[in-house]
Amino acid sequence: MDLSLLRMAIVAYLVATATCALELLAPRPGLRSIGLNTLRVGAVFHAGAIGARILSAGHFPITSFSDSLSVLAFLVVGAFLVLQLRWPIGSLAVVIGPLAFMGTLGAHAFHRGQPTLPAHLQSALLPVHVLLAVLGNALFSLAFAVSLAYLVQERRLKAKRVAGRLRLPPLETLDQLNYRFLTWGLSLFTLAIVSGIVWAHLVWGRFWSSEPRLMWAMVTWVVYAIVFQGRVTVGMRGRRAAALTIVGFATLVCSLIGVNFFTPGRHGGTFG
Amino acid sequence: MQFDIVIVGVGHQDTTVDVREQLAFSGNGALESGLRRLAAVPGVEEAAIVSTCNRVEIVACSSVPESVGEGIEAALAEHRGIDRGAFAPHLYRMRGREAVRHLFRVASSLDSMVVGEPQILGQLKESYAASAAAGVSGAVLHRCFHSAFAVAKRVRRETAIARRAVSIASAAVELARSIFDTLDGRSAMVIGAGEMSTLTARHLLASGVRSLLVTNRTFDRAVELACECGGTPVPFDQFARYLHLADLVVGGAGDGTHLLTQGMVQRALRARKQTPMFLIDLAVPRSFAPEINGLDNVYLYDVDDLRQVADTNRQERGREAEKAERIVVEAVDRFWSWFEELDVVPVIVALRQKIEGIRTGELARAGATLGALSPEQRRAVDYLTGAIVNKILHRPLTRLRRRRSVGDDPQYVRMVCDLFGLEDDGLADDTEE
Repeated sequence: MDLSLLRMAIVAYLVATATCALELLAPRPGLRSIGLNTLRVGAVFHAGAIGARILSAGHFPITSFSDSLSVLAFLVVGAFLVLQLRWPIGSLAVVIGPLAFMGTLGAHAFHRGQPTLPAHLQSALLPVHVLLAVLGNALFSLAFAVSLAYLVQERRLKAKRVAGRLRLPPLETLDQLNYRFLTWGLSLFTLAIVSGIVWAHLVWGRFWSSEPRLMWAMVTWVVYAIVFQGRVTVGMRGRRAAALTIVGFATLVCSLIGVNFFTPGRHGGTFG
Repeated sequence: MQFDIVIVGVGHQDTTVDVREQLAFSGNGALESGLRRLAAVPGVEEAAIVSTCNRVEIVACSSVPESVGEGIEAALAEHRGIDRGAFAPHLYRMRGREAVRHLFRVASSLDSMVVGEPQILGQLKESYAASAAAGVSGAVLHRCFHSAFAVAKRVRRETAIARRAVSIASAAVELARSIFDTLDGRSAMVIGAGEMSTLTARHLLASGVRSLLVTNRTFDRAVELACECGGTPVPFDQFARYLHLADLVVGGAGDGTHLLTQGMVQRALRARKQTPMFLIDLAVPRSFAPEINGLDNVYLYDVDDLRQVADTNRQERGREAEKAERIVVEAVDRFWSWFEELDVVPVIVALRQKIEGIRTGELARAGATLGALSPEQRRAVDYLTGAIVNKILHRPLTRLRRRRSVGDDPQYVRMVCDLFGLEDDGLADDTEE
């Protein structure tokens, strides 16, 4: 039951993505609102799918890779839909749509039923750790979307090809949003790492293990920390900040997808 | 004889501003008295005056559409106290679907000097409001104007006709808006006070820019422009020191040298912590070094770049205008089918005809005794009787017009027919036609 709702969400996200892509190729009034509305419909199905998972699991389902990916995608779409009420960022649906589609598709593909966690790893810290990581990742995904839009808009303005295309938000709006997403994302991501370290210490008595997943997480953290530091101290902003944010997101995706499935470790798909 | 919508007016296409000026109804009083004057023209059942700087048009619903134009022209000339010859050759007269289409095109800003400009819809709303307030509009103009407003909104919503800037100064503002999230409270600097830079500075100020620094080789000219626009003059040899304060920099008249160099901008950027700057070089030859555009967070547009943006936008508006024309035609069809079904109209026509018949009949009969009157006196009698008829008919006709069709309240219309004996003659004649 929960998978059929998820499938409907996937279809809605796919339609939203296609509509936004069409708007990009052949801008015409009306496509934007169709895209946004299908995204909303997708979010409703998606919320239903997560609700159904809560009912079947008996708790908020976030500890399996599939579940956390699904929640991540939902947070990204939900936050976007709320934020676009306040900020003129509706055109970013063209980035959010595909992110939501791929997130839910991944969640569906890697769905393995109820995860079984070894007893010695069970702890109240687990959901906290995962939730913090998911929230941080959601904010980084949003930062990625605004950074991508920034680079496109910036290139258009520099090349003086601004007329007659899909309208993007003003550069400054994108840059400010990027900064906010980065600040909050980095804070939550840092807390996720700290909670992971505390948890590891409680379970194994050491703070760190050298599994690739953790190395990638550290690389991600370092990249985002560099952007943050650059912004705060040397006034790095605009194109450089956007480009580095995209690099950060690339390492994030690597750590999420590549490392979870192609290398062994405790952060693997089913915590085996 | 039947009811029709008539438009008589002058537009920007075939008149010069001095002709339109003479005809313009400026000020509320002028509009109101003009409307009253028009309503007294025989055959004018409803009237509205559209008076903007680009057009003066009378929109009327008339029971004698073939001949009412003359009366309207005479009323216009009389009301404005000018000779008919001064504007008559420039007038256009439209009726029927053509007139409705024209009104819808005007509302949608397809007939504007700058296609897609947004003011006209508001002006049209005011025109209709004035007509409604003066009590000279009825069901037909109500429906006609409200359809026009709806068409305009639909055009605005479904086409990109008004979305793009088509002048250089407005293109600059549009570009600034795709860099800065808002222009409110921004600072701008004008380097070299020329005509174009002054115009652009004004545009920026109107768009929310708060403070303006002005510098010029001749300091007096800088002071002059600063006073005009409420800015602050800066001595020419010191402007670089204040450059970092400006989010927008407009370059005007230059002397062929690069007044603004990459180094200056770089220093300014450092001082403002890389907050973006938008540089608009309107001078020919250019007065801002082109390599400035290579810097991060700076966007330099020269006059050709801006013209290109404006031209592309204009072409796009042209394409969008075709879409808009299709929307207009659809709406005219819809309005027209409503208008044709408006069967309260024959009753109004018949009533008017009947009373007018009585009046002319009685005048003719009294002709023998009135024979001794001078032409002026005869006109006075004619006017007097006409005025009495109009006064008597005013309320019944207004009440009738409020009814969209006989179907809305058959009893009411039937009673009017019965009271004035319209079934036997007037109405029957009309339906036979």
